[in-house]
Amino acid sequence: MQSLKQRCSTLAAAALGVALTGSLVGCGSSVPEATNKDYMVAVSRPNHLNVIDAETLEPVNRCDLPAHPAPGTIVMSPDSQIAYTLIGSFGEIYGIDIESCEVVFSANQSQGNERVRSMGAIAISPDGSEIYTHQNPTVMMSDHYQVQDTRVAVFNTADGLDAKAVRTFPAPRQVTIIKTGDDGTLYLGGPDVYAMDVNSGEYTTSIVSRNLDDPQYSPRDVLTVWPIGDTSNEFIRMFSVVKFNGESGDMDNASFHWGYERIDLTTGEPTDTIFGPLEVVLFSGQTRPNHPDQMWAVLSHLKQFDVPSQTEVRSITLDHTYYCINFSTDGDTIYLSGALDDIVAYDANTLEKLGNITLGGDMSMATPRVINRSVITSKL
Amino acid sequence: MKKLKPINQKAVELAGTTSQQQVNDVVAMQSVVGCASTTDPGWEVDMFGGTAGLCQPMEADLYGCSDPCWWPAQVPDMMNTYPDWSADAPSAAKNWRNLDGVYPGKE
Repeated sequence: MQSLKQRCSTLAAAALGVALTGSLVGCGSSVPEATNKDYMVAVSRPNHLNVIDAETLEPVNRCDLPAHPAPGTIVMSPDSQIAYTLIGSFGEIYGIDIESCEVVFSANQSQGNERVRSMGAIAISPDGSEIYTHQNPTVMMSDHYQVQDTRVAVFNTADGLDAKAVRTFPAPRQVTIIKTGDDGTLYLGGPDVYAMDVNSGEYTTSIVSRNLDDPQYSPRDVLTVWPIGDTSNEFIRMFSVVKFNGESGDMDNASFHWGYERIDLTTGEPTDTIFGPLEVVLFSGQTRPNHPDQMWAVLSHLKQFDVPSQTEVRSITLDHTYYCINFSTDGDTIYLSGALDDIVAYDANTLEKLGNITLGGDMSMATPRVINRSVITSKL
Repeated sequence: MKKLKPINQKAVELAGTTSQQQVNDVVAMQSVVGCASTTDPGWEVDMFGGTAGLCQPMEADLYGCSDPCWWPAQVPDMMNTYPDWSADAPSAAKNWRNLDGVYPGKE
């Protein structure tokens, strides 16, 4: 894969019609070496935490995880040093130093005969001091199960290994993705989208979804286990919906649409809107950094939508299905991951395929992260 | 349920669980058994009745379904019952020959 600098050199070479010998020739040799750069962090089978140079798609480190890799949802510490991974068959959390591979935090959410599962719902406070999960607990009796109320659990990252929840709060069922806003508010995606005060446990509805009652539309269908959107600082999930252009429920005069429910994590502003026609199934999507009118989504296709006009702009058919979309921090590169064992990169301006990296094991429903941090010296 | 006929034991249980008094039986299936109680048709047809919307190849969707037990009858439940089912097949597309059937009571 060409790095961003190499792409710059290639463009310069084409323009000048000369052969280049230095990677920075044509882009200005006075440009200083970047002190920060983008990396990807991704969980894959059988039990690996992969750290990848996002510009070259070369691996720089690979840590062994101490549990089953599913679901492989990651949140990063604010300094992008610790990857907190929800793994262990949806039940355990491990904090891994992505340079040393040291396990610096662990929590088994199941205790005694209470089995706890979190459906990809893990978040971190803006200062990195607390981890939040949404828990589905069940007491396993010898002859029957006792379903417990669902809740949000709070862990102190400073508690290190074998940490226990320091606070729990009642929370709605069927929550999959959660994220924190810059002010510390915890947003939960369930039947509706909720905003929770992590100190009091009080929550309100930010976006009405399942409880909408608009005769012009069908109920929204939401599927997500990917708390993506970091590089646009957003909580976002897509929905599909039928619009009745005639009488309510008249499918002969109906149209199918994609929409998103989004929280701006900088301001807390909620938005829900249709962004394009529904022609194929898509699993995850996010807005492009610095281009809020561009919505991009993926499954077996990569599609760009123009939000204001609710139209599809561009579409390509992919080599295979990818579940999860990420953008580079500058918004110019798209990374597709999940499902099988490779991550592919596309230029967001040209849709040129820039390259891919094979991890050796499937990512399944993992949520890889793009981070921007100081340079990591390769450990491999 | 007028047009759907349950054909395995789990579907029979689901069909009989229709009163609010039994709602926790269904909740338990979401959180303990891990399996979805939906009746998605599976890997055969997509939401439009065709195949263009299905994951390509089907191995791309295999662990995304077995990890959370998305498909109740078609792949093992790796969340709770058969966590090691894919231990010898880290890549579904390359190692699928190492994936075997599972049999209740044989774990």
